[in-house]
Amino acid sequence: MNKFIGLTKRNLLIFFKDKQSVIFSLMTSIIVFVLYLLFLRGTFVDAIQSAMKEAPGLADLVQDKDVEMYANLTLLVGILGSALITVPFNCLTVVVRDKENKVDYDILSTPIRRWQVILSYFTAAVISAVIMTGIILTVGLLLLRTQGDLYMGAKEIAQAYGIVALGSFSATALFMIVVLFFKSSSACGAFFSMVSAAAGFVIGAYIPISQFSDGVQTVCNIFPACQVTILLRNALLSALLQHMDTAIGGLDNGMFVESIKETFSFDASLFGKNYGMSSMIIYVAAFMVLCVAVMIFVYGKTYKKK
Amino acid sequence: MKAITVKELTKKYKEHVAVDHLSFEVEEGELFAFLGENGAGKSTTINILCTILEKNAGDIEILGHELGREDDKIRDDIGIVFQNSVLDAKLTVKENLYTRGAYYGLTKKQIAEQLAPFMKGFELEEIWNRKYEKLSGGQRRRVDIVRALIHNPRILFLDEPTTGLDPKSRKLVWDYIEYLRKEKHITIFLTTHYMEETKDANHVLIMDKGKCIAAGTPSELKSRFTSSKLIWYTDKGEKAEKILEGLDFTYDADHYNVLMPENGENITEFLYRNKESITDYEIIKGTMDDVFLNLTGKELSESL
Repeated sequence: MNKFIGLTKRNLLIFFKDKQSVIFSLMTSIIVFVLYLLFLRGTFVDAIQSAMKEAPGLADLVQDKDVEMYANLTLLVGILGSALITVPFNCLTVVVRDKENKVDYDILSTPIRRWQVILSYFTAAVISAVIMTGIILTVGLLLLRTQGDLYMGAKEIAQAYGIVALGSFSATALFMIVVLFFKSSSACGAFFSMVSAAAGFVIGAYIPISQFSDGVQTVCNIFPACQVTILLRNALLSALLQHMDTAIGGLDNGMFVESIKETFSFDASLFGKNYGMSSMIIYVAAFMVLCVAVMIFVYGKTYKKK
Repeated sequence: MKAITVKELTKKYKEHVAVDHLSFEVEEGELFAFLGENGAGKSTTINILCTILEKNAGDIEILGHELGREDDKIRDDIGIVFQNSVLDAKLTVKENLYTRGAYYGLTKKQIAEQLAPFMKGFELEEIWNRKYEKLSGGQRRRVDIVRALIHNPRILFLDEPTTGLDPKSRKLVWDYIEYLRKEKHITIFLTTHYMEETKDANHVLIMDKGKCIAAGTPSELKSRFTSSKLIWYTDKGEKAEKILEGLDFTYDADHYNVLMPENGENITEFLYRNKESITDYEIIKGTMDDVFLNLTGKELSESL
C-alpha cells in the first residue's frame, strides 16, 4: 500500500507544485468568470426576466436579489462544470509526460504492480479534481452567502459536494483512456486546448444547452461532464427556484419555475427525451464504470512491455 | 554466486534485431562494463534485465531469480541510473527521494536512515530543499545515483552515469561507485562512453549490432586485440626506415610510431637487436580505446 500511496503522492505533488499547470487547468473557469462579468450575467438575467412575462405581476413577486443570486449561482455551476473537465485532464497529462521522458521506465523497474501504477495516476487526478473543485465550491458558496440568501439546506450542500466527487471520478475515467493514446506532451497539450475551448459550450456555461438543436443537445449530454453540470445546477439552484415559486404563491401554476428549468436545462435531453436527476446519476455512474473497464483494457495493451 | 546470467537473449523490434543471442555472466560484487556504439543494444539489454522490456527469447537469472517469473524479487534487488534523468524537475531533491523510496515500500524513517550516509558523502545537504531543475549536471547525477541506491539494491545498473559531467563530479561519482563495490559488495553493471572508466572493470563485454563481439578482462582484451606501440624519437631518414623495414610505421613531427607484427618479433627483441641505433624511445601499451577501435573500426567517442 505504501508503494501505491508513494506514487499517488508523487503524481499529486507534480500537479500542485507546478503553479502554471494549476492556473491553466482553471483557464476555462477563469474565462467563464470573465465572460460573466462582461455579458453572461446580463444574458442570464434577461432570460429570467423574459420568463417573468409569462404571467402578469410576476416581476413584483420575484425579488431582484433572488434573480441576481440565480445568475451568480449559474456562474458557479459553469465554473465548477468546466473545472471538472479541465482539472482532471491537466493532472493526467503527467501520464504522457512520464511516457515521453521515460519516467515510466523508472516506475516500472520498481516493485509497484502495473495496475497500481495506472490506479495511482487515476487516484491522483480524482483527488486533484475533488480538491480544486471542492475549494471552488466552498469559496463560491461562502462568497455568494455574503451577497444574500442561498436558501440551500445541508442536504443540497452535501448533494453538491457528492456531485463534485462523482464528476471528478467520471471525467478522470474518461480522460484516462484518452491520455493513454498520446505519445507526446505537445499533442496532448494541443488536445487539452481543444478540450478547454469546447468545455464551456458542452456543459452549457456560455449558452444554456436548451438553446441548441435536439441533435446538439444529445451530443453534449452524451458526455458525463454535461450531465454532472446539470446535476450541479439542480443541487445549487433548486432551493432558490423553490423559494421563488413560494413567493409567487401559485399565481402562475408553477409556470415560471418550469420555464426557467427548461431554459437553463435542469434535465438531460438525449434523443429528444428528457431525463431527471436519478437517471442522470445512473448514467454518469454507468459511464464511469464502463470507462474504468476500457481504461484497464487499454492500459493492458499500451503499457504491455514491448 | 552469479549476479546475472544471460543465455541466448534475443530482442526484436518488428524486423530489427536489437539484441541477438547474447550470452554472458556477471559475478556478484564485480564491476562489469558493457561497451558498444549507440544503437548496439546496450540500453535494450539493460532495460530487459531491469524487467522494463520483455525479451523475445533467452533465459535470464538475476541473483538466482528467473526473469519473467520472479520479476518482483528482481525489482527489489536492482537499482538503475538511467542515461537521461528520470526524476521530477519541479520537485525538490527531498521530495524526489522520499517519493522514490516509497515506491519500494519504505517508511519515512527507513528512507531517512538509508539516505543518511549520502547526505555528507554525496554533498546532498546543501541541495536538499532545492528543486531538481535548479541543480547543475553533476548535482543531478549525484541525486540520480542516490535515488538508484535508496532501497539498498544488490545490483546497480549505470547507463552512462558520467556522460556530460565535469571532472570533479565524475571523480566524486566514481569514488562512490568504487566504495559501493569494495565496501558494500554491490555488483556494478556499467555502460559508458569513457573507455578509461573500464580500466578497473573485472570484465568487459563489447557489443556490436546486438551481438557480443568480445568479452574478457581488460588485460585479456588488450593483449588479444591491441599491440603495444613503439615511439622512436629520431629524424626521418632512409637509415631509420631501413631499420623499420617490414614493420607498420608512420612518422609524426619528431618520431616514428611503430606497430609490431602480431606473429613476429616482439618489441623487446626488436629493441635489443637495434640497441645501437634506437636509443631514444617509449613503449606505449594498447588501451581499451584501441581494443574498441580494432574490433569495431570506430572510436567509441565517434559513435556519440
